[in-house]
Amino acid sequence: MANLRGKKVAQDSEQGAKRARKIPDSAPLIAVLILMIAYFSVASEYFLQVENFKNIFANAAVTGIVCIPSTFLIIAGQIDLSVGSAAAVSGMVLAQVVNAHGIVAGLLAVLLFGLAFGCFNGVIVTLIGVNSLITTLGGLGFLYGVALLIGNGQTVGMNDFEWLGTAQPLSIPLPIIIFAGLALMGAITLRYTKFGRSIYAIGSNPNAARVVGIRSNRIIFQTFVLSAVASALAGAVLTSQLSAGSPNSGLGLELQVVTAIVLGGASLAGGRGSIFGTVLGLLIVGILNNGLILMDVPTFWQRIAQGLMLIVAVSFDSIRAKLNNTRA
Amino acid sequence: MSNSTELIRLEGIKKSYNGVEVLHGVDLSVNAGEVVALLGENGAGKSTLVKILAGDISPTQGTIKMNGVEYAGLDVYSARDLGIRMIFQELNDAPSMSVAENIFLGQWPSSGGKIAWKELKAKAKEVLDRLEVNIPLDAEAGSLRVGERQLLEIARALIQNAKILVLDEPSAALSNIEVERLFSVMEQLKAQGVGMVYITHRLDEVSRVADRVQVLRDGNPVLTKPAKDVTRQDMVTAMLGHEASGNTRPVVSKPNKVVLEINNLSDGHVFKDISLNVKAGEVVTLFGKIGSGTSEILESIFGLRDIASGEIKISGTTFTPESPEDSTARNIGYLPADRQRLGSFANRSVAENLSVSSWGKMAKFGFVKRETEEKAFGKWAEALSISARRGPGQEIATLSGGNQQKVLLGRWFEAQVNVLLLVEPTRGVDVGARRDIYNIIRQQAKESGVAVLVATSDYEEVVLLADRALVISRGEISAEFTDEHVQANNLIAASS
Repeated sequence: MANLRGKKVAQDSEQGAKRARKIPDSAPLIAVLILMIAYFSVASEYFLQVENFKNIFANAAVTGIVCIPSTFLIIAGQIDLSVGSAAAVSGMVLAQVVNAHGIVAGLLAVLLFGLAFGCFNGVIVTLIGVNSLITTLGGLGFLYGVALLIGNGQTVGMNDFEWLGTAQPLSIPLPIIIFAGLALMGAITLRYTKFGRSIYAIGSNPNAARVVGIRSNRIIFQTFVLSAVASALAGAVLTSQLSAGSPNSGLGLELQVVTAIVLGGASLAGGRGSIFGTVLGLLIVGILNNGLILMDVPTFWQRIAQGLMLIVAVSFDSIRAKLNNTRA
Repeated sequence: MSNSTELIRLEGIKKSYNGVEVLHGVDLSVNAGEVVALLGENGAGKSTLVKILAGDISPTQGTIKMNGVEYAGLDVYSARDLGIRMIFQELNDAPSMSVAENIFLGQWPSSGGKIAWKELKAKAKEVLDRLEVNIPLDAEAGSLRVGERQLLEIARALIQNAKILVLDEPSAALSNIEVERLFSVMEQLKAQGVGMVYITHRLDEVSRVADRVQVLRDGNPVLTKPAKDVTRQDMVTAMLGHEASGNTRPVVSKPNKVVLEINNLSDGHVFKDISLNVKAGEVVTLFGKIGSGTSEILESIFGLRDIASGEIKISGTTFTPESPEDSTARNIGYLPADRQRLGSFANRSVAENLSVSSWGKMAKFGFVKRETEEKAFGKWAEALSISARRGPGQEIATLSGGNQQKVLLGRWFEAQVNVLLLVEPTRGVDVGARRDIYNIIRQQAKESGVAVLVATSDYEEVVLLADRALVISRGEISAEFTDEHVQANNLIAASS
């Protein structure tokens, strides 16, 4: 026992020394990113081209819009799995309303849907107190049904509203600009505002957050609303890109979102994560998808790769948590 | 008690950690059908001794004799095989399983992989009858009262053929009635020849239940006598090492502006009819044993626990605490006893941990500048002598307990609260840093006029910290001491 204690003390000071000159958390991610780019550049002649990268970013942007508030939620120790179906419903609503009443009415309807569904999630999680994983898993299921219902199971074509998804001011696709703006706002909010810091505090220690006077429920509620509105926006962008609302357009979105965020270093236990990390995670997921497509890997295998990637990401999260525990 | 076979004898037990000896040659023996009360201050070595008995750790020197065999140390398995069982204050049961299942937890009788329900229930009933307790076998353990669940743990020990039971402060969380029931069960066990080591802080229990008293102080055995020959004063003196006094009292101030006023406050369970007031700049302590209700009173004032009746006034205005968020908005601060669970944000910086309750004041248009936080931290780091070697960005979890506690105190000073509620403010803080913390609290109270109410189970803390001391016994105020009457022996006597 005496020996054990001695060892532990030694370990502590070693850890202290390590932490003093520590490598940024994002370093391994950047390394993985570089390795992937290097590999796909060699494997496919089309990979390292401006058009392809525009493509990667434009695809990642839709997922990325959802990732920003989802990062907030995961840092706060919550999760929103309903994003994919919320995006699908939003797309169906947009197509229907734009066809009947025009673009402004369509966007308004999408915004209203986002607000309403976000409030719904927020009420169930904060007022009723249901675990957010279960709440939003239910939401994922029932909204998929709603999306099918709206179009009677069919894709609904949409007229004259391609610009949101395809316009390229300064030859940059608009979705990328939207995503970059949101990411910047998200990063500033998390780092520099009372709201953002409270999110870290809630995730770091929810009980202590109450004791120090943080209005946790209010903040979590607001973040669920942001998440649903972002999902609705992503659905609108996707629908605009495709010129059609498809009930299946959001399938698997939650998987990509959670994978990107957890890869980016956010902890599912809450309290850790950053927008910068999420963006890196997003790029890794996006480049993997793109590279596999360019290498003509069958789509089934792409699915398998995506799923495995999430498991790898959460395993890293758990290993990191274990290492932290042995230190404390 | 006719039975006096010696069950176990520990002789000359010494234990060192990292070359520092914490037990300096302790003897302990337990006879069949005997209850030995093991007393001592926090840090006297009781828990080290008990861990040696349980086989958690091995002694550095000394022998353990049992059944005529001499051991240099036990491990957990041999201790179990020898019939040594521990009952801790914390419950180790499965709340969602039935009483019968809990009695056999993990060792359910089975045949061919199938649980033998009939046998299980019959045996469970038998052991509960043996203890003369009447608890329905099919009830969920989680639906029982704490005292009943503790009896289940004793039943489990009996099922496993316990010969020696070590009860580590089992009464701390129990109501009076439950304590009585525990004692009658202990009588049963004595009659059946089980030997027991009973650890408690409640001196009045000793004469009720113990046959022999053993007191440890600083790792030394200082008193071993038959319980009937020991007075309460003997025990206190043996535990303290001197007549209970001799601590220097701070210079007491007597301000007169009442900030916190409480009238007839009850929560309907733990405490009742509490009336007190705390004035601006005054430090008032509520002293009581663990489980007496001191910390619950503070929880209620802060909105963490429901109030059944009574009223709270802050600077003359009636205040009904709804939630901690409301209380902090009313400029009430709260330092919890459980720092890890309710106090610190472990992976966040010390600057952030210190400023978190002041973000509302610091923010401009919702933005909180890092420099503002770091300046606040710098100010309090100096005033409270917080040593964070890597500066304001250091994670709080990497600080010592004393420094963490100073950060959490600084949190409320920075927030400029009017009322500060402190629960066990020096728990887990090393002795050296304690006096620092007392000085800080007293000085800040004087300078900022904050009204400080402290809940503590440490009488030394009361003597060194309090302007005025109230004693809580079983949920009610039993005494108030001022000036030179704030003394350990007065406090201890009034708290039992």
